Amino acid sequence: MPDILELIARFLMVGAFAFGGGGAALPLVERFTVAETGWMTPRQFAIGIGFAYATPGPILILAAFVGYYVAGVPGALAGTCAVFAIPVALAAGSAGIVRRLNKYARFRAFARFAAAGAVGLLAVTLTALARPVLEIHPALLIGSVLVFAGERAGFSPVLLLAAAIALGAGSVFVA
Amino acid sequence: MSDPAHAAEAPRLSVLAWELLKLGAVAFGGLGSTLALLQRRLADERGWLEQSVISEGLAFTRALPGSTGIQLVAYLSHRLRGWPGALVGTVAYIAPATLMMILAAAFSLALPDHPAVDRALTGLQAGVVGLLAASMWRLARSEAKDKARLAVLLVCTVLGFFVNAVLVIALAGTVGLLATKEEARA
Repeated sequence: MPDILELIARFLMVGAFAFGGGGAALPLVERFTVAETGWMTPRQFAIGIGFAYATPGPILILAAFVGYYVAGVPGALAGTCAVFAIPVALAAGSAGIVRRLNKYARFRAFARFAAAGAVGLLAVTLTALARPVLEIHPALLIGSVLVFAGERAGFSPVLLLAAAIALGAGSVFVA
Repeated sequence: MSDPAHAAEAPRLSVLAWELLKLGAVAFGGLGSTLALLQRRLADERGWLEQSVISEGLAFTRALPGSTGIQLVAYLSHRLRGWPGALVGTVAYIAPATLMMILAAAFSLALPDHPAVDRALTGLQAGVVGLLAASMWRLARSEAKDKARLAVLLVCTVLGFFVNAVLVIALAGTVGLLATKEEARA
């Protein structure tokens, strides 16, 4: 039970600091699910991100995936509620408070710079996810580069991940 | 809400929920698709909101922490039906994705221990690295619009390896706060 409480506390924190949107908050999630608590292996976390990209809606729905690993369906629901609670409350109430806050140049500057910082943190997450791949075989990163190029060229993430999975499974017959 | 833009007819909660549930089931591809769907369904087809209300909501929620898509849903639902609307609307919007992720997590835990499965997951891992890099690339281009923010971004890529992530974000924001003079705006 303490695990589900920690899950809620951590995801409330993620929601409160997700400047720059959900994608920029992935480092916060990776830090505590893999590095700090060991709730998931890097591979399991990568699978979760893969599904989060492939499902509709926000990337932070990853919270449901993490929550399920920690405490089953109640964990998934708790994680989802926690990660969106603060952002949603702020946004719904923004007609009032944020309309006023947005008038302050300093508030907007804080948000903009915090977002830039959050994007910088993605380098840490990228390293944490790339390292285990590198340990399996360095040549696998060629696949990563191809997916990167494919995404930049406008291919759907779902399609690219499906191709990556198929190539991986197919490699059993080659070597 | 005495906004003439939608005072004429606000939708019933059940109708709003159904519309957002359908939207949440097909909003593949991040904020862009959610935004386009909201504009088409809520403004163009249903006529509940003006396009300008959606743009305004986007401007407000961008500065806030959190996933912008669901925040825009919360903002617009609040405009239409107050706090009950915001609650019902966001829950309806996120329900399909939550269900899919629960099924995905259960599925991933039930995968058999087999060489082909192992290789497939390795493929997925490599693919996710590429997608995340692309996501970082896109975010960097939109968030580092001037030299100061680019510098903060680059410093944080290094700092992140040594300092707690939340602290790094708070520090970056504080730099912006201190570097900006408060101008008088009505």
